[in-house]
Amino acid sequence: MDKEFFFDKQAKDPIERVGGRAKVTGAALYTADQQFQNLAYGFLVGSTVAKGRIKSIDTKAAERAPGVLAVITHQNAPKIPGYQTGRDPAKPPTAGQPLRIFYNEEIFYYDQPIALVIADTYERVLHAAKLVKAQYEKGVFQTELGSNLAKAKIPTGPRFEDYKRGEVDGYKNAPVKVEQEYYHPIEVHNPMELGNTLAHWESDQKLMVYTKTQGVEATRKSISDAFKLPPENITVHAEQIGGAFGMGLRTWPYEIAAVMGAQKVGRPLKLVLHREQMFTNVGYRPATQQKIGIGATPDGKLVGITHEAYANTSSYEEFTEATVNLTQFLYACPNVTTRYRLVPLNMCTPIWMRGPGEATGSFALESAMDELAFALNLDPIELRNRNHADVDPEKNQPWSSKYLTECFQMGAEKIGWKNRKLQPRTAQEGDWLVGYGMGTGAFGAMRWAATVKARLQPDGSLLLQCSVNDMGPGTATMMTAVATEAMGLTPAKVRIQMGSTGLPPGPTQGGSNVTATVGAAVNDVCTALKEQIATLLSKEGSRFHTANVHGVKVDDLLFAEGAVSLKQNPAIKMTYTELLQQNGLSVLEQTRESKGQQQQYSMYSFSVHFVKLRVHKPTGRIKIDHVVSCADAGTIVSPTTAASQMIGGAVGGIGMAMMEDLVIDHRFGRPINNNLADYHVPVNADIPNVDVVFVGKKDPYINQMGSKGLGEIALIGMAPAIANAVFNATGKRIRTLPITPDKLMEG
Amino acid sequence: MINFDYIRVSTPTAAVDALAKDKAAQWIAGGTNLIDLMKKGVLNPQKLVDINNLPLKEIRKEGKVLRIGALALNSDVSEHELVLQSQPLLAQALKAGASQQIRNMATVGGNMMQRTRCPYFYNPDMPCNKREPGTGCGALKGFNRMHAIFGTSDKCIAVHPSDMCIALVALDATVLVAGPKGERRIPFQNFHRLPGELPQRDNTLERGELILGLEIPDNPFADHVHYLKVRDRSSYAFALVSVAAALALKGKTIQDVRLGMGGVAHKPWRLVEAESFLKGKQATEAVFREAANLAMRGAKGYGQNNFKLKLGPNTIVEALKKATEKA
Amino acid sequence: MAKDNEINGQPEHSPDQGRRSFLKNSSLLSALALAPPYIVKAAGAEWDEKAARFFERVPLSIEVNGRSRTLSIEPRTTLLDLLREQLALTGTKKGCDHGQCGACTVHVDGKRVLSCLSLAVMQEGKKVTTIEGLAEGEKLHPLQEAFIKHDGFQCGYCTPGQIMSGVACIREGHAGSDDEVREYMSGNICRCGAYPNIVKAIRDVQKGGQKV
Repeated sequence: MDKEFFFDKQAKDPIERVGGRAKVTGAALYTADQQFQNLAYGFLVGSTVAKGRIKSIDTKAAERAPGVLAVITHQNAPKIPGYQTGRDPAKPPTAGQPLRIFYNEEIFYYDQPIALVIADTYERVLHAAKLVKAQYEKGVFQTELGSNLAKAKIPTGPRFEDYKRGEVDGYKNAPVKVEQEYYHPIEVHNPMELGNTLAHWESDQKLMVYTKTQGVEATRKSISDAFKLPPENITVHAEQIGGAFGMGLRTWPYEIAAVMGAQKVGRPLKLVLHREQMFTNVGYRPATQQKIGIGATPDGKLVGITHEAYANTSSYEEFTEATVNLTQFLYACPNVTTRYRLVPLNMCTPIWMRGPGEATGSFALESAMDELAFALNLDPIELRNRNHADVDPEKNQPWSSKYLTECFQMGAEKIGWKNRKLQPRTAQEGDWLVGYGMGTGAFGAMRWAATVKARLQPDGSLLLQCSVNDMGPGTATMMTAVATEAMGLTPAKVRIQMGSTGLPPGPTQGGSNVTATVGAAVNDVCTALKEQIATLLSKEGSRFHTANVHGVKVDDLLFAEGAVSLKQNPAIKMTYTELLQQNGLSVLEQTRESKGQQQQYSMYSFSVHFVKLRVHKPTGRIKIDHVVSCADAGTIVSPTTAASQMIGGAVGGIGMAMMEDLVIDHRFGRPINNNLADYHVPVNADIPNVDVVFVGKKDPYINQMGSKGLGEIALIGMAPAIANAVFNATGKRIRTLPITPDKLMEG
Repeated sequence: MINFDYIRVSTPTAAVDALAKDKAAQWIAGGTNLIDLMKKGVLNPQKLVDINNLPLKEIRKEGKVLRIGALALNSDVSEHELVLQSQPLLAQALKAGASQQIRNMATVGGNMMQRTRCPYFYNPDMPCNKREPGTGCGALKGFNRMHAIFGTSDKCIAVHPSDMCIALVALDATVLVAGPKGERRIPFQNFHRLPGELPQRDNTLERGELILGLEIPDNPFADHVHYLKVRDRSSYAFALVSVAAALALKGKTIQDVRLGMGGVAHKPWRLVEAESFLKGKQATEAVFREAANLAMRGAKGYGQNNFKLKLGPNTIVEALKKATEKA
Repeated sequence: MAKDNEINGQPEHSPDQGRRSFLKNSSLLSALALAPPYIVKAAGAEWDEKAARFFERVPLSIEVNGRSRTLSIEPRTTLLDLLREQLALTGTKKGCDHGQCGACTVHVDGKRVLSCLSLAVMQEGKKVTTIEGLAEGEKLHPLQEAFIKHDGFQCGYCTPGQIMSGVACIREGHAGSDDEVREYMSGNICRCGAYPNIVKAIRDVQKGGQKV
């Protein structure tokens, strides 16, 4: 039971990404790639005002345009039964009334869909969509966070009440203190795949949907609730998802529109959002204005931290995230106060974006820690070590595992931290100022529930089924890694079926839970299979039976090379194929549900990001020379894909720190850089070599593998690492992201 | 997009005819900007006249002039041996623009004709005097971080987006055009125009005039050139400010110098005053700084782009330093 | 100029012969004119113009992944939408539809281009290679192998564009150093952030000296 799962075997070759061949040959089929006979094309027309009511909408020209099959607006939209009940179930757990598409004439935000045009070709639908014209009664709208702080309110529900430990605002009494404000603009997920849904009513009671979701079960429930269809009549497919980063964590109105449209025209309908609509209709990371007050004794012991955050939400829903929560547990600190407020704006509701609130919160907290270290004339790592939280100070209970100190050591070594100057602006190469910075990340190590079915087949291969899907991190690879390890199979002998409803239910891919959750379920179901095998071995006719080996337990057996053998006498051995044959079985099948248990431990994954960069004095350009990202994520099940995920998080953090910024013209209430030329995300030339370091020590409690998640911590802490390195290089503290050249040029 | 008509022509004559015949027609070459704008609904030509088969792709040296056909691809020009030898500044500027895929499609003529990237121009339901005269300038009191600091008018503060053209204005290129009324040669600095009262006009071409190509005279700058582009990410982004610098040095003495500046005006900006100041002086940072300050006379910020008033001269100095370093 | 007409075998007509002959005799024109023998077949203006005027669709002959196709398309159809929606070659992806991401990169006559900004009708007579045409049967192209080996992707959506771009990058001779690859691959956005592994894959193939 307590064998060192994986941990002793890290030296072996990591397995290749499952499904890689399909991806490099173009054979992998994403939603919009699905081929259907008689396919119709949908396109959404958006509101040109940010608030108000539709006075009139003229669809005649569009309806008359060649190839147009239907134009749906609030005036003629079929009634969505779920919309009539008051609350659209297509929602994240937030308060408010989710947007009901084509429900009435009310406009809440710019580019809110006002019509769905459907035509027989893509070219024709695009053209016809341009012909829809609406008149509005314009309302007064607000789209700017900073000028609307007076409207801020505490989110509904007990989780968001102000937090206090020790004395309220106790930092103020500290001999050394820093009080600063930090701002982070709106960031947009922008996965490369556009939001898209392909809906096909196979009969008036049977629906098939391909869509960009991170959870097919959740999407099915939303559609089922909206259309009042039994879930078993709906199949949701998301076998291939071209990235999502959180954008697929709820069912969006456009997905409902596609289902509605397919019903209206009685044909399979493909609705692909335009890239511009990806900026306006499918969520984003909200802007935050944060204030940190932090104080310490002269020898660097924290006295208090107060962390306040204002974040925007929409005017119709309260979107919340854990922006201030890191501050509650990351450091041993007696006096901690946090306050979290929402400001409603006339925009689409935000949605969690990779690292979610913790990523924005860490920008403020980890920048402030760096500012405090400077004020104390201390190395920032030393300041963190002096305030290491040996137990969780928030819940006052032990950590299940925490190897943050190891992350500091390993990362500092790799980046060459010893070359960092304590005094900023003292390292220079020509016109370039050189700096080092670091930032810490942490995120709850989640383990939810998953059911996995395992089927050992006559050819000795193993089929695993689970409805969980993979937006990119390598879920199938992780599952394969767990199964090969458990069953002694080569990766080629393991096949994964996943990503659609109808399979045993898996979790939504979010909150870094999947490896801990589904991996554990794979492990459990393999254990069940092994127990069944052990039972079969005892039966008459078995080679084990013949050899007078009776009543063997799983622990007595070795599962390797597609066969089971006796540990004490490996010559007594049967291949899985032989075993099935001998027992006259076509397959051996087990299904297990597996879920996390309430523990008396605080479970978190931790990361530390290190950056070495240069700033060009005259022009303010930043050149990142080296990134080292260290993670304490427990046992690393699939080193190749885990490393890629860490690199990806670092790249996301570089984008957040240096370029991403959705600019809104508040006079019109609309974004003006809603395209990939003007909204900058990192390109290849921005990214240096990224070294990934895993501590690789198992968590004893989370699951049998000892694996915690790492999707979020890959990004959390990266932005402050860059801001801190910029300070170390230039002596300039940038508290408003992104850090663009104009903020750093000198002269 | 409307379902426009499409024809292909194979001679400049036929190309000019096709536009003269049909007011709703427009030429298409690489299409990298035109198709983008058509998808956005900014431009809606009813007929496209494909000029890619015109025999205007050649790059060749004739005496002391480098001739480049209007349909030569940006990537081909940027790597052509003759360009690398005699006009390396042009090669550098081209490589700083867009991506290799776009450079493989975009032509020299098309690059000169590309429209501004001002977001108000690009969004058909925003005010923009360039797209729809009389609707006002959205950028003047709106988002103007990317916008012009030189030669603006109250009608338009957009910038010309090309990198290539910044080098060409510095290199004293000449544009060869042919149209219904005949042919003419336009000095490059007169090709693009300032917005004034007619921001809808980017350049001085008459309707129906076709760019045939460019001539770039030989110069003594090949050893000391540098194109410096400052942008928000390392590649594949438009310039905040860019500077094309070319020096002819004898020892440390500046014999001749050319300076072009991008991201600062409605046209490729030539720094004439700075050039005359620099001639005959020593190539030192202090001298460069003085020249840069001269160059910035008359510059005006609009709020978000005020940083260009500082980034501009810094970039001039840096480009000159870099150009000097090369031997 | 007269030579062009002979090669095309199609006399050009114009209502305004005077203007035309003026242009024909232009010295500037002759100075710049190549006399290219390779001009596309259908270049004669009259024939195309008729087709465009009387039909919404125009004919197109194009070679895609080695297979010649004769199609009838609307002039406004982009090469990307033609590949995806009419030829079921969905390996080429749409990421922005405006030339800002590189997901739609294909090779046309051996050069990497963006299919979203290419009108299909303008590819008359050209050879198009998409990701589906890169492998030789079951044998993957070396760069496809290298992407798997170095895990040069996560979600895989930008991957076809990255690989088509990467193959061209090597063939162009722009893969000589890590930094050169970074610059010449910057037209292909990967939001999963697989850039360092993409650079490794391309450099590996370039250094390996295999035929690409």
